[in-house]
Order: sequence, then C-alpha cells, then structure tokens
Amino acid sequence: MAAPEQAAPLPAGSGMAASNAGRAQAATAPAVAAEGIAKSFGVTRAVVDCSVDVRPGEVHVLIGENGSGKSTLVKILSGVHRPDAGTISISGEPHRFLASPRHATDVGIVTVFQEILVAPQRSVLANAWLGADRLVRRGDTGDERRARAGQLLGRLVDSPDLDMPAGELGLNDRQALCIVRALLRRPRMLILDESTSALDISTRDNLFATISELCESGVGVLFISHRMDEVERIADRITVMRSGRNVSTTDRGQLSTAQLVSLMIGSEQVVDGDRLSRHRSGDTPHAPTLRARDIRLRGSARPFDAEFHAGEIVGLAGLEGHGQDDFLRLLSGAGNGGGRVTAIGPDGQRTVSSRVAAIDVGIAYVPRDRRTEALFPTLSVLENFGVATTRADRRVGLVSRRATRERFAQYIGRLRILAPQPGGAITALSGGNQQKVILARCLAASPNVLLLNDPTRGVDLGAKADIYTALADATAQGMTVIMLSTELIELVELMDRVLVFREGELFRELQRGEITRTNLVAGYFGREGG
Amino acid sequence: MPHRIPSVSQRRLGFAFALALALFIANLIVLPSFVSGSQIAGTVGTLAPFALAAMASTPAFLSGGGGIDLSITPLMALSNIVLVTGLLGTTLGTPIIAIPLLLAMGAVVGAVNGMMIAWLRFPPVIATLGMFFMLSGLDLGLVPDPVSAHASWVDHLAGSVGPVPGAVLTIGVPLLLWALLRRTPLVDSILSVGDSAPAAFSAGVNVDAVRVLAYLIGGVLAAAGGIALAGLVQSADAQTYTGYTVAALAAVALGGTNLAGGAGGLTPSLIGAASIYLLDNLLAALHVSSNYVQVAYGGALLVAVVFGSLLLNRSRGPAR
Repeated sequence: MAAPEQAAPLPAGSGMAASNAGRAQAATAPAVAAEGIAKSFGVTRAVVDCSVDVRPGEVHVLIGENGSGKSTLVKILSGVHRPDAGTISISGEPHRFLASPRHATDVGIVTVFQEILVAPQRSVLANAWLGADRLVRRGDTGDERRARAGQLLGRLVDSPDLDMPAGELGLNDRQALCIVRALLRRPRMLILDESTSALDISTRDNLFATISELCESGVGVLFISHRMDEVERIADRITVMRSGRNVSTTDRGQLSTAQLVSLMIGSEQVVDGDRLSRHRSGDTPHAPTLRARDIRLRGSARPFDAEFHAGEIVGLAGLEGHGQDDFLRLLSGAGNGGGRVTAIGPDGQRTVSSRVAAIDVGIAYVPRDRRTEALFPTLSVLENFGVATTRADRRVGLVSRRATRERFAQYIGRLRILAPQPGGAITALSGGNQQKVILARCLAASPNVLLLNDPTRGVDLGAKADIYTALADATAQGMTVIMLSTELIELVELMDRVLVFREGELFRELQRGEITRTNLVAGYFGREGG
Repeated sequence: MPHRIPSVSQRRLGFAFALALALFIANLIVLPSFVSGSQIAGTVGTLAPFALAAMASTPAFLSGGGGIDLSITPLMALSNIVLVTGLLGTTLGTPIIAIPLLLAMGAVVGAVNGMMIAWLRFPPVIATLGMFFMLSGLDLGLVPDPVSAHASWVDHLAGSVGPVPGAVLTIGVPLLLWALLRRTPLVDSILSVGDSAPAAFSAGVNVDAVRVLAYLIGGVLAAAGGIALAGLVQSADAQTYTGYTVAALAAVALGGTNLAGGAGGLTPSLIGAASIYLLDNLLAALHVSSNYVQVAYGGALLVAVVFGSLLLNRSRGPAR
C-alpha cells in the first residue's frame, strides 16, 4: 500500500546536487546529446525542434507543462518513436534514430517510463530481469540474479518476496520494481519519466540517494518531474520545454521557481482571443444543475464538494493524471471513486450512479479519445450523428434515414460541419469535423449538462473556434458546460470558473477575474500563485 | 519468512490435477483393468495424440495478444499423412531421418502462422483459421481415402518400445524439450510477452520474434503429435481427427493455462487432456451415449472456468 503522496518541503541544498554540479562541469563531453529533434503525429507537432544533452554524472531535469513535448522526446530517446529529423549522439557517436527499446538499452540509454509497466502474473524476480536476456541465451545464473535484484530493490523499499506475482505489489513497490529493472541494465544514461509521482516519501528519498551514487559512478540522469521541490533538490541543470522546443537550459539555482514557471508558460497567443465569442450573459449563473458531494478520487486524498449551475461554463484543469479526468468521468456516471453526484432538475434530484442514469437525467459526455471512445469508425457520418437519438427518427416503428438527415442538417449549419457526403465514412472527415459530429450527437439529445473531455485536442484552429461558439450558444440557452482542457488559452479565454486539480484533490478554484496563465500553472505545480 | 501464498496459476494447476486424480480414481472403480500391465501402454498410447494436440495448442495462448492456434489438428494430420504415405517404406522412412524432417515441417508451418500474426498483424484467429482450412484441404487432397501403413517402427509408439510404453516417449520427449527450453530465457519471454506486451517491449524484449517462436514451437509439437497419431491408427486419414481441434482447446483451458496469456505451460495442458480422456473413458465404461459425451466436456470446462475465476478473485483480494 502506497503511503499518501505529499509535496513535503525538502531540506534545501541537500548537498548532493551541489557536488554533482561541480563534477558535471569537469566532464563536459555529453553522454547523450539530442540535436534538432522533431516529431509529428498527423497534424500534431509534438516536438518541433529540441536539443538537449546529458553529461556523465549529472542530473539533468526536464520540465514543461502538458503537451510541451517532454514525453515524446523521452520516447524518441528510448527507441519507442523514430524522430522525423535530428540526431541522437551517444558518447559522440551519432544515430539517426534508435530502432527499439532494446536498441536504446544496448547503446546505454535505459528508461523508466511514465506508465508503470509490469507483467502482473510474473514474479517480482522475472519482472526485474525482464528484457535482460537474448532470445535463448541467458547472461548470469539465477542465484546472482536473485541476489542483485533483491539487493537493489531492498535499497528502495522493504524488500518484497521476489517470487510473488508483481501484480500483487502496491503501486509504490511496482514503480520501485520498474526502477530496479532499469538499474539492473547498467545504464550509461538513465531516464526517469515522472517516476516519483507514484512513490511515497521514503522510497523517493532512497531513490535520490541511489541517483546520487549513480552520478558518482559517471551515469547521466535525465529526470522529468512536475514537482518543483524535487527539481530544486536534485537538478544540476534544468531544461525548460515549451511547445515542442527547448526554451532554456540553465544551471541549478540560476533561475527562481517563478522564472522557470514563466518560461514554461511563454506568452505566444495560440488562438486569436477575439474569436472566442463571449455572448454569454454576464450575470451570475442561475439554478444549480449538478452537485458533487464528498468526492474522493484517491484513497488518501482529501474529499471535496463542487456545484455547477445552469448557463455557466466551468473548466477542469491540472497536470495530466492529477484527478481532473477522474472527476469528469465521475460526473458522467462512469467513474470510480467515492462520493455522490446528484443531478438537479425540474422534477427534483436524482443520483447519477451509472452512465445510463446520467443519460436519463440529461448529462451528455464527449470522451477524450475520439477514435476509441466516441467514433464508430465503420459507420457513416449520419449514423455517427444519429446513433444516440434514433428514437427521434422513428417513423411507423422504423428508423427513417431521411429524418436523421433533416435533423443533421441543422447542425451542419450551426457547427459549420464540413461533410460533403453525410452518408459517407466518418473517417474521411478531418479531426475537427469528426469532433463536431460528436458534439452534434450530444447536443441533439438536448442535455442539461454537457461534459467535454479535452474536446479540442488535435483539432485545427478554425474548428476550435466553431466549437467554442457552439459551447457559448449552449450556455446562453441555459446548459451547464463542464470542460476539461489541457490548453491554458482555452481556460483563460473561455471559462467562467476553473477547478484546478492536484494529486487527486481539488487544489484551487479560480473565479473569472483570477483565471490567468500564471495562476493556472502555479496551481498545477502546487503553488498558490499571485 | 512469511507464509507463502500459492500463486493463482499454481492453484489453478492444483485444481486441474485434483480433477484428473478424481477422474482417475473413478475410472479405477468402474473399470479396474484399464491400468493393468497389459493395457497401460495402449491406454497411454490412445491418450498421446490428443495430449500432444493440447500441448501444441498451448504456446500460442501463452504468448498473449489474443493468441490461438486453430491449425494444430490439420497440421498433425499432415504430419501423419506425410509420414505414412511419403516416408515409411522409402529410404527416408527411418526414425533418424523421418522425425527431424516432420518436425522441421511443423516448425515451418508454425513459423508462417507466427509471422502472419506478429509481422503482418493478422488477428490470430483469422491467420490460423486460414491455415486450418488450407491444411485441411491439403490433407484431403493427399489422402481422399484412408491409407494403411506398412509395418514399421511407428507401430511401437502406441504400444511399447522395449519395456517403455511408446507414449512415454511421444509425450515425454516433448515435455523434456520444453523443460530444457524453460532453462533458456525463451519460455520466460513468451510468458512475459503474453502477460504484458507493453511491459516486455519497453524492457527490450523482441515481442514479435518471441511470438513467432511461440507459434513455431506449437507447430513442432503438432508434428510430433502426427507421429504419435500414426502409431495409434497405423494409417493415414485426413478426417478422423478433426474432432480434436475444439477438445484440445478445452484441454488447455481445463489444465489452467490462462487463455489470455502469461501463465500456464505444457504440463497443465497434459493434465487437462488427461482429464478429458479419463472423462471420456469413464462415460464409455458407464455406457453413456456418446451423443451426450460432449455435454460432459462442456460441463467440466465451465466448472473449471468458474473455479479458476473464483481463485483469481480470492487471490486478488480487496482493491489496494
């Protein structure tokens, strides 16, 4: 069982970072240097132009807000993705790409991924040595392996039974196991991608001690974290990424936390602010429509309440995986977690206990992953639109396609959907138009509450503006809109209120006048902000 | 040292073993003669081809990713046909030459299955169903009517080779080879890939190659099953053993191998096959109409699955 996570203040200048910095300057030839890396997924440019190097014996911290390209860069350095451009030099030897995690490991780059990857039915021991062997040849004997895995694991956690299935370990121990797996491969550069977020405090301290020893022996560490206290504690150098580029690399202590945060935010305008129409009424919103009580998103988290009103648009924000997603799913009736969600309608109050109950009381949900959760890729545009509301198209007991077509026509105009052939495949549309069709599907059910999970992800600018307009129209008609967003600009420009989540708790609620980039990012990183 | 709780797969295997033992005792009561000195070799000889079909079906399941190999039985039949009509009676018919040739043929077919699945990303059901039909057709084309075999070394496999029941060789040698493979990283890799392909891939396991090898091993075992089959029936017949296909999958499940991958092995499948065989034997001895035998298979399988999931839930315990 993992102990509650806390952003506890750490003793400043614990000595280890300072001494590492001295050594790092002495040995300047980088262990690994990535230069001019670029990578796109379809229209999304995840990494635009990024150069980072890690010297032997240093801890190089990579920070940046959601979608800044950190994880993509990590996946390129660890052989999961091939970059579109750039080179990866390992001890001076250039590579265009690393073909697989195996290849990366062979050249000395070992990664602990953000996802906690264990084979749950296999033993702890087998998991620790997973991937260490060739297909049929084994390196060392079972006894040596048992001893080394046990010894390394014991330095991080109270050593569990090595023969126990890894799936029976708690979260903290599973994460420790993934770290041990990487350490056993004797990396030249170790990448830790948010590896501390699942660790309790004592395991994290043990990990930092281990990192310190690794650095003594000349290993370079690339460390990704969202905790500024950790960054301050162990970084020798800090690189800030924003919008797929590295915007600054500085030695530890050169920049204050506030300066780092402002570098992460940047100031470029992503969307033209004027296009975000604000024809909502300025009045304070009306009657409550949805109420959440004693919501507990994680076992150890502090419970919270929230209430939503007719005619308002509320943003849910936070760093990836800090609870905003769980909260939204809970509101949609599909989530896991403690607490009670109640819909308040003209006919009284009803508990939202399942998706079916939620739909019944008029809660519509636009899921995050369009392709797997929202679209029916083998159906037509029209069918994708009408599937949730076929009842409206009933003519003498049969579904009339013409009726669907007529209903859809209204939304083509309202949302400016570009679908030349409504009977054609949905997959032929652009991402933005697909999302509009899904939004139209939800709106067609005339919900009281519309929940959206990052609806503008991978959507082009024009379509984004159309979606914003549609949402503003919906709130003007008295609908409650609750939208999770990973884009600061959307939160700042669009929302009446923003709930900022951190570590599974409601960290802060920002009212209209307080919603600024600085306040948002400060909240993401656990600071109260200005 | 805290008390060790047996793992889920150990407990499942325990259940399969208990079931087989209970059926064995029931058989002893109803039909005491079936383990007598004169009959034991024949009994095990009858079991061998079916047990090998179940064992050959196992690695595909273990490798996960929806893995399944439906082409095992027609491959067994092909091995049987090639042996009886092509090799026996010719200079290639000696065991030293014929056995490696047939096993190599099985390896090639298995590898083709594996490559379609791992490299061309065919769904395993589709790839191996296609192979099932192609091999079945080939089998029928080669021997439209059953052909009986010349007297040869094969005859001993369903009886005794010296003092040793032949089936101890046909089942035992593959088990021994598997035990040797377990000492290499390959079986570990198959189980890890089957348990969590993302974890295995990110840790540097060549997931695709491991899956190809899993299907290849299945093909080799199927070819070995064909040799055992030749010993049992002493003829080549394209059609008689199609009934093995589904029963072999049932035997794998009954043995306790996780059909979703990651846990299990050849021994559990052998035990599962023995259970089905003993059940069959028992029902025949009790003069139950053969039409109802399949009802009993189905019942046994469902009971095993229910027990398996009960064990699974108990060991997981309350959510952490």
